[in-house]
Amino acid sequence: MGVTCVSQMPVAEGKSVQQTVELLTRKLEMLGAEKQGTFCVDCETYHTAASTLGSQGQPGKLMYVMHNSEYPLSCFALFENGPCLTADTNFDVLMVKLKGFFQSAKASKIETRGTRYQYCDFLVKVGTVTMGPSARGISVEVEYGPCVVASDCWSLLLEFLQSFLGSHTPGAPAVFGNRHDAVYGPADTMVQYMELFNKIRKQQQVPVAGIR
Amino acid sequence: MADVLSVGVNLEAFAQAISAIQALRSSVSRVFDCLKDGMRNKETLEGREKAFIAHFQDNLHSVNRDLNELERLSNLVGKPSENHPLHNSGLLSLDPVQDKTPLYSQLLQAYKWSNKLQYHAGLASGLLNQQSLKRSANQMGVSAKRRPKAQPTTLVLPPQYVDDVISRIDRMFPEMSIHLSRPNGTSAMLLLDIWSKSNYQVFQKVTDHATTALLHYQLPQMPDVVVRSFMTWLRSYIKLFQAPCQRCGKFLQDGLPPTWRDFRTLEAFHDTCRQ
Repeated sequence: MGVTCVSQMPVAEGKSVQQTVELLTRKLEMLGAEKQGTFCVDCETYHTAASTLGSQGQPGKLMYVMHNSEYPLSCFALFENGPCLTADTNFDVLMVKLKGFFQSAKASKIETRGTRYQYCDFLVKVGTVTMGPSARGISVEVEYGPCVVASDCWSLLLEFLQSFLGSHTPGAPAVFGNRHDAVYGPADTMVQYMELFNKIRKQQQVPVAGIR
Repeated sequence: MADVLSVGVNLEAFAQAISAIQALRSSVSRVFDCLKDGMRNKETLEGREKAFIAHFQDNLHSVNRDLNELERLSNLVGKPSENHPLHNSGLLSLDPVQDKTPLYSQLLQAYKWSNKLQYHAGLASGLLNQQSLKRSANQMGVSAKRRPKAQPTTLVLPPQYVDDVISRIDRMFPEMSIHLSRPNGTSAMLLLDIWSKSNYQVFQKVTDHATTALLHYQLPQMPDVVVRSFMTWLRSYIKLFQAPCQRCGKFLQDGLPPTWRDFRTLEAFHDTCRQ
């Protein structure tokens, strides 16, 4: 597990999501990256049940339950700006039991799927973000395995991102700033994905609707 | 050996000389036989003495005769050993062709050189064996220097001294945890790195470079300086991911950060940028 940066790649003008992804993967392959199977990150939204809300008199908080194919035995539960819980996959069953407190939001499932590439010590995952039947955007995750302190290798990561994202290189993820000099963990990656998904949810549907 | 020498020499005289030597040896042994047998088988003391002396004289005469014969033959054979100190190659000097005449003296010179070289190499190997600089990629600690294998006399240090040096280095570099252990009584080992190969290419490269550095830093007279300078060098990797290459100014080259650190300036370079 190394330091990871998750960002969104805007869809190229006049191109579909699919075409933009292909463009990106071709660039990666030209760079010398090797294909290494696929990956998937999904996220489901829960909100606190109405019955428990009234007594406390505060607005309902959203909870996100996520899975990452990189950590197949784990399940992540996050609050926005809040704590992140890393649990076994059995946590999903527990959520069913907690129906009285947390209710699954309808049609809220959002996920990103795509190919996993290895380039030296970098792990690059380019995925198509889908919500229901429609493609909503492109996610790019870059992980640098050897380093576990985000502030140490950010400039190095940035240089790598620039090499294939060009002008769409993102700024430093917010989680990097939160944990100065601390060891980077899988939960930090999930927080980044959660933020990305939230951003994409708020966006308008992609004008040129990508077809899966 | 005699056969080799006699090539081009009077072979017949040689054969005769050898038989002369045999004759000489047999006559000499007859003299000693006679002396061993002493005086016996004679009636009177006088007769015994007379016969013995006559016999002894005969024998000595034959020895003398054989010796003279051998001497005569040896003159015939010549003196090959003087003429050809380098065996057959000595014949080169006899070559009448003009442009080949310096060949022999050059050959002698080369022979002297190689002799001298062998002598010095022998001395050097003796010295090196004493220092026991045997190191391999596996000995990733500074352990190699501290291992009194085959009793390298100059490197056996009092344990107190070793402890002292290590604790000083430990205090020098608070970022690194240095652990000193003595698995076999007196020999101390420094645990710096794990033995297994890293999954990451960066660290494989760094391991290679560290092995190189172990070979680079050596000064048998002052082992503590060696350990300290190696640790200083190793410490420069604290900025492995933060330091751009001093030559090309970039972080990445072929997907790797600058993994090389200069031995003296500790500057970061890519493996290919360092030349």
